[in-house]
Amino acid sequence: MKVLTVTLNPALDRIMFIENFQINKLHRVPSFDKSILSPGGKGVNVSVALAKLGIPSIATGFLGGYMGRILIEELRKVSNLITTNFVFIKDETRENIAIIDEENHTITEINSPGPKIEEIDLEHLIRRYTMSLSRVEVVVISGSIPESLTSDVYVELVKIAKEKGKTIFMETRDKHISVLYNKGAVPDFIKPDFRMEYSLLGKELKDLDDFISQAKKLIDAGAKLAVLSYQVDKDIIVVKDGAWIIKPKVGVDISHVLGTGDTYTAAMVYRYLNGVGDALDIGRYGYIAALAKTKKARKDPPTLEEIEEFADKYVLERVI
Amino acid sequence: MKVSDVMIYDISAVFEDETVERAVNIMAGHVISGVPVVDEDMKVVGFITETDIMKASIPSYFSLLQSASFLPDTDQFMKNISRIKDHKVSEYMSKPPIVVKADSPLIYAADLMIRHNIKTIPVVDDENRLIGVVTKMGILKVALEGELK
Repeated sequence: MKVLTVTLNPALDRIMFIENFQINKLHRVPSFDKSILSPGGKGVNVSVALAKLGIPSIATGFLGGYMGRILIEELRKVSNLITTNFVFIKDETRENIAIIDEENHTITEINSPGPKIEEIDLEHLIRRYTMSLSRVEVVVISGSIPESLTSDVYVELVKIAKEKGKTIFMETRDKHISVLYNKGAVPDFIKPDFRMEYSLLGKELKDLDDFISQAKKLIDAGAKLAVLSYQVDKDIIVVKDGAWIIKPKVGVDISHVLGTGDTYTAAMVYRYLNGVGDALDIGRYGYIAALAKTKKARKDPPTLEEIEEFADKYVLERVI
Repeated sequence: MKVSDVMIYDISAVFEDETVERAVNIMAGHVISGVPVVDEDMKVVGFITETDIMKASIPSYFSLLQSASFLPDTDQFMKNISRIKDHKVSEYMSKPPIVVKADSPLIYAADLMIRHNIKTIPVVDDENRLIGVVTKMGILKVALEGELK
């Protein structure tokens, strides 16, 4: 086992394909294959994407109730490369809904807040997390935190992993990244989740200089790489040696971006574990994997062969 | 067919110093009748089932009776389970545990289940660390498909 993924707020994802989706109107899903149920939450998605790349992982986090049991059953069907180790709680696991409109190239996401986590359940998770670390090289901590917990839980998880010498990948919102930064617990590879707001370390990002200067602060605090989504289909990759903009040579369908962030993270982990490149190369590989993912409408991550097809479909430009 | 072909890749477990209540919560959450007990290195040191906990919660003479209706005071069960819920699982678990390796023949796991009348066997690696479980239902499924060889 090489990777431990942590999903504190997993979800059962319901993806519906509805053409010409409009609010305040009745829509009918045309067939069963246009309404797909799958295990979700960022860390869980990374485990699924890693399995597609042949990398075994342990998936941990909180699950609860009927939804939680469906999620774990569905996850087991994905691959034997995913070993589950979830803490079951009293509350129900949330359900997230995504409506994909391929006609108008839109995606509408509705994410539930998540269950209440009791203190004793958090203690049990941290104990199991700590024990599992002895089996892995990399920890992926991704996604939201249930509202009954604070960002401090991420601080604790990162500090424990650092003490044990593990490499940490993280994709989450700035409200958590800011706390990690202020408390000296910066992960090694960071991908801020900008779906709710474009801000980093508490500052709204308005122009290229903002993106680079804020990402540089993370690098100065010990991160090896920060990759920031920029102008829809471009990314800014910031490492110790400089900053680059990476952009596609091919068109990207915005309605197909669901799950690209998780594919991005999984591909970076894959590249890191293979030890074939530096931090910039790891970020570049994540980008081409995400690009490969956008060729699929569903949350289905790409294979290695599909990623390779995009190996020359991007442009990398140094900006500083 | 090997154990690895039908095992469930789940390492949910209770630590030997955790409580009976935690073990029950894990079983209830996963809807399973027993859970492996592990030490700090995730090595399997025992196995605790709902039956172990029930047995520990009823008066000792119960095994001589044919029906719970003969129990003069059913509150005794409630009192006893309340008494033991904070006890360590190590007090009630079966040990040494019956375990199998992932590359063991599935028929060997089936034989163990029949001989010891158990529903679940922890699957361990060469260092005796938990890597999953194999269940009677999992074996029955492949047996029904004629693949238990």
